Amino acid sequence: MPEFITAQLESLLTAQFIVSVVTILLVVHVILLTVAYLIYVERKLSAYIQDRLGPNRVGFDFGLPFLSFLKGCLGLGQPLADGLKFLLKEDYAPSRVDKALFTLAPIIIIVPALMGFVIIPWGGVWDMPGFTIPIIGIDVAGGPVHVTGAAVNVGIIYLLAIASLGVYGVTLGGWASNSKFSFIGGLRATAQMISYEIPLGLSLLAALLLTGTVMPEGIIRYQADNGWLIFSQPVAAVIFFMAILAEANRAPFDNAEAEQELVGGYHTEYSSMRFALFFLAEYAHMVTSSAFFALMFLGGYQLLPFVGDPLTSPGAVSFWAVLAKFGVFMGKVVLLIAFMMVIRWTLPRLRYDQVMTLAWQSVIPISLIVVVATAVMIYLGHTGVLPMLGLNLVIVLGILVAQAFMPVTNTNAKLPLYGSRFNPVPGEFVNTRPTDPTALEDRPEQGTAPRAV
Amino acid sequence: MDGLTLVTTLAQSNIAAYLPIMVILTMALTFAIGNIVATKLIGPSRTGEIKGQAYESGMNPIGTARKRFNVRFFLIAMVFLVFDVEVVFLYPWADTFTDLATGGKDAALWLGRILFFLLTTVVAYLYGFRKGVFRFD
Repeated sequence: MPEFITAQLESLLTAQFIVSVVTILLVVHVILLTVAYLIYVERKLSAYIQDRLGPNRVGFDFGLPFLSFLKGCLGLGQPLADGLKFLLKEDYAPSRVDKALFTLAPIIIIVPALMGFVIIPWGGVWDMPGFTIPIIGIDVAGGPVHVTGAAVNVGIIYLLAIASLGVYGVTLGGWASNSKFSFIGGLRATAQMISYEIPLGLSLLAALLLTGTVMPEGIIRYQADNGWLIFSQPVAAVIFFMAILAEANRAPFDNAEAEQELVGGYHTEYSSMRFALFFLAEYAHMVTSSAFFALMFLGGYQLLPFVGDPLTSPGAVSFWAVLAKFGVFMGKVVLLIAFMMVIRWTLPRLRYDQVMTLAWQSVIPISLIVVVATAVMIYLGHTGVLPMLGLNLVIVLGILVAQAFMPVTNTNAKLPLYGSRFNPVPGEFVNTRPTDPTALEDRPEQGTAPRAV
Repeated sequence: MDGLTLVTTLAQSNIAAYLPIMVILTMALTFAIGNIVATKLIGPSRTGEIKGQAYESGMNPIGTARKRFNVRFFLIAMVFLVFDVEVVFLYPWADTFTDLATGGKDAALWLGRILFFLLTTVVAYLYGFRKGVFRFD
């Protein structure tokens, strides 16, 4: 091998780069597999909530007699069958769509959804031993490396920037379809996603003010030293969770695909794999958001708050510690996703005006208040868990008191309408009783005699 | 292995730290494009005049979907810009304010500046509120 190529490779193949690429390869496959099975879990969970059985037929026998002992399997073959079916169906575009944008939209939505998770520090820091790569014979120096996709020091900013790119896919998908359902669904989803990006950013800001760093590993270390941020910023945590639900278009904020009103929302006209990509993106977004929440507010890879156990504290750098941290982090993500699913099958969907009013008239002002109050507390030097908890309590009580003095807008007011028999304009009487005598004679029990009107 | 010093020395702001992002970008693009191409190749393909219509619950589509829409969505977009740009400006401050407030003598000055900056946003919010931008009924 020429000398300069070896030199280039040596500078490229640092321990951090190798660990990063291995982590990415591992986590991408874990996420794609998880996403396929999340759909299965969601169907199963909804079935149990609604007292049904859910998918329980498709096993791994593939219709072959000698594999018949793999029939059933609790329906675990369902995601595989779904995936194959998506691949085998016709990839159809209606005649009047904007073909280029129509194909681009699912790509634009799936790429950010798969890119976001790279900054999540799944395994903390690993004290890697040095080794030699077998075939090309390059020595890799050992040392502490971050077990994460990309150890960038602006991790949180990167994740926010990438996550907000997903809105382009929704907008383009709705616009390019040239269908009214898609268009209105896309508009609604876009307005909702950009509206909830502001409380997302602001509640994150309240947490970042305390940590003083935007590096994911640094945030976890702050929480290891000072207690998890969900204890010192509970209001911001709740707002953040609401915002990630709305960003992922999950219930109770899934107005974009309110099937009673909009059929399928922005993916009405999509079929086969392009539809599947929208679907995958939603679930991948859920995984990334849950990991983000676990990172910001639930202490990342630590098992217990306030207690530094030897295996999952930031100081543990052995290989087994990395595996344990990976497991704990994934466990938190799975629990959060299960919580999102239970929310979806328990709470009714909010009306669209309620979603937007919630964002602009309550969540954004509250998160602004939390940011300002946190800044003042930091200036005063009270950043412990108890003072911050007291501050949050004061904010909640203040909101409850202030709510009594807020102007009330009655959005469900009945408007009098000319010609309406339910709510006519004052002084008017509308009678819709049939005037034809024969119509009344048909109903002998209700009105036998035709009466003059 | 002490605390944050390890972290800050490791994750330098050099371009090499961003190299794995290129890897995942390539993987994601390959996944997306590969899937679409595969289903295009494998799946059936039949066209027809009726089949090419936009879906409107079985009715014949009336007109096009490229119509004018509610002005509220434009207003939301504009107000979003105001707030989002403000939040973006706040991130560098949030990153450094802990150090400024604990060690620096200008802590009150920095708090005051940011509070004034937030006040301008509150004024914008109140203006929008009075104009009915945030009413969706």
